[in-house]
Amino acid sequence: MRGEAYARVRLVTGAVFAVLGGTIVVRTLLDSGLSLRALPAFALGAAMILLAVFRFRDYLTARRTRS
Amino acid sequence: MATANLATAPAEEPSLRRSVTPWGSFSWGYSDVGADIFVGLGLVLGAAAGASNVAFLFAGIVYVCIGLAYTELAAAYPVAGGGQYFVFRGLGDIFGFIAGWAVLLDFTIDIVLFAWSCIDYLSKLVPVLSFVDHPWVHFIVVFIVIAGLAILNIIGVRESSAFNEFVSGLDVVSETTILFFGFLFAFQPHLLVHTMSVSWPTPFNLMNGVSLAIISFVGLESISQAAQETQRPASVIPRTSISLILTILIFALAYSNLALGMQPWRAIPPDAHGHAQALWHYLGNENNNGAAVAVLASYVPYFGVLAALYVPLLGAILLLISSNSGVFGSSRIAYAMSGTNLLPSIFQRVHKKFRTPAISIMTFCGFAIIELIFASLPSLSPPVKHVYARLFRGEDGITFLGDLYAFGAAASYSFVFIALIALRLNDSQSPRRFKMPFNVPFTYRGNRVEFPVVAVIGFFGIVSILAFTMITHEIGRVAGPLWILCGIGGYLIYRRHKALPVFGSQTHDWRKAQINILQEAGELEMMDEYLLNVRRMDVAAAAAAAAVAGKGPAR
Repeated sequence: MRGEAYARVRLVTGAVFAVLGGTIVVRTLLDSGLSLRALPAFALGAAMILLAVFRFRDYLTARRTRS
Repeated sequence: MATANLATAPAEEPSLRRSVTPWGSFSWGYSDVGADIFVGLGLVLGAAAGASNVAFLFAGIVYVCIGLAYTELAAAYPVAGGGQYFVFRGLGDIFGFIAGWAVLLDFTIDIVLFAWSCIDYLSKLVPVLSFVDHPWVHFIVVFIVIAGLAILNIIGVRESSAFNEFVSGLDVVSETTILFFGFLFAFQPHLLVHTMSVSWPTPFNLMNGVSLAIISFVGLESISQAAQETQRPASVIPRTSISLILTILIFALAYSNLALGMQPWRAIPPDAHGHAQALWHYLGNENNNGAAVAVLASYVPYFGVLAALYVPLLGAILLLISSNSGVFGSSRIAYAMSGTNLLPSIFQRVHKKFRTPAISIMTFCGFAIIELIFASLPSLSPPVKHVYARLFRGEDGITFLGDLYAFGAAASYSFVFIALIALRLNDSQSPRRFKMPFNVPFTYRGNRVEFPVVAVIGFFGIVSILAFTMITHEIGRVAGPLWILCGIGGYLIYRRHKALPVFGSQTHDWRKAQINILQEAGELEMMDEYLLNVRRMDVAAAAAAAAVAGKGPAR
């Protein structure tokens, strides 16, 4: 898999991670508040969202390279 | 894998085909590092209990620093030697040897630990392979797996790149699905906080957990191995590496959080005394710690029914690939070290018929089998179990292997951080398409350089993990340093025998080497930039020398 097609697949999986990460952060926040013990769960949610951001950026780069 | 066969290297001048695509590069790294969580999860849950996610978070932060360091170095020096090459180039021969020797320890442990865990995962489908119930069967099968991999590598058979990519892809999809179902239908944040509060470990156990958590992140050598065979590595490697680093971090954090905060879909069997037990406790016990991901997957709502059937097999295949990469990687590193006079030339010898480095393969698989015997002995012989209990606090086989794996990784990664700082200062002319973030610019010996702050943070992080390993692991504290000391002893004898500098370094033409590396990588723009930088530096040095000479007589 090369170029834009690969970037598109990664964009979709990135979106999945973004949804999951957002859900984890919101649910943890609603359930446990800003507890120090919940820090690993927040870190997990943030890492998932960050991965989605990187994949979105890669997708834009791949599109720009094509055009 | 599309890795070049070492066998052909001496006959046809080593030049690896650069055919690895971005997905190939990702899956290569993933099949190495991604398998680690299959081994690490149960071990960490057994040690760090309610703080397992904290242990993974700490080790994960250090791992991100290591990953960034490897990405920068692999993009700037796209050669297959990995950590050993970076240290060799940045710190000289003896440190290059020590880092390479520590990596070799990790590769030999990699062979046996992953073969061991592969059989543990299969035992969830074929109970006769269970280590706890049938230790002799387990031992014999792991032995056969290692011997089989050695023979296959000597004959020259390796798994194909397409197969590797397929298994990695299937695993990413599968793990993501498990997490999706687990977090959406069974994750209870208040249960997570409750488990962490009531099952928080002692500081000793937390340190033990952190030192074991780092094994979930070992295998970054694959980034540099992929760099040597990737087209335009300077632009591809940073993209795929960062994605790989984040994916691995996410899986490690997600599984540990899920294990602590998931409401299981089915009832957990009671413990040996008939008491109810929590999911994390069940996953971390001796029966399940070798196959924790498969057991966890089977307790995920809805998808768990299907996952229970295929995740053990998928895990076993991924672990077998990882074990094979240990056989291949150890022979490749030994071959490279032998070529730079860090190891005797016998490790460069190839089999007449198969043209593979048979002696290297047999030597390091031999070490792996010794480690397997040492790890299995307490279960195979009750008197030995008493001796281990007295000397080593009764550590079980897989924990012993985990100890040494953590020691080797922490030792070699520590040197890589120092090498990165040294190369930033002494080789500022090499273009870096990717740099670790947060750098402090300053002038060093007349050159403008950038000091990597993250490398310092990573160095202290990995050194603390090394210290935790030494403090908490009775066997690791003895066997790890002993491996390094024996290696240094052998190295000193070899260098003296060959009349080479014992503590110093041989003369290396790094400029020529760098031009060749960039040319072979197809990074011609970088090569031009490098030549320009070198020329500028030479002109500046000549001008400075002339200025000093001009001032000389006036004084």
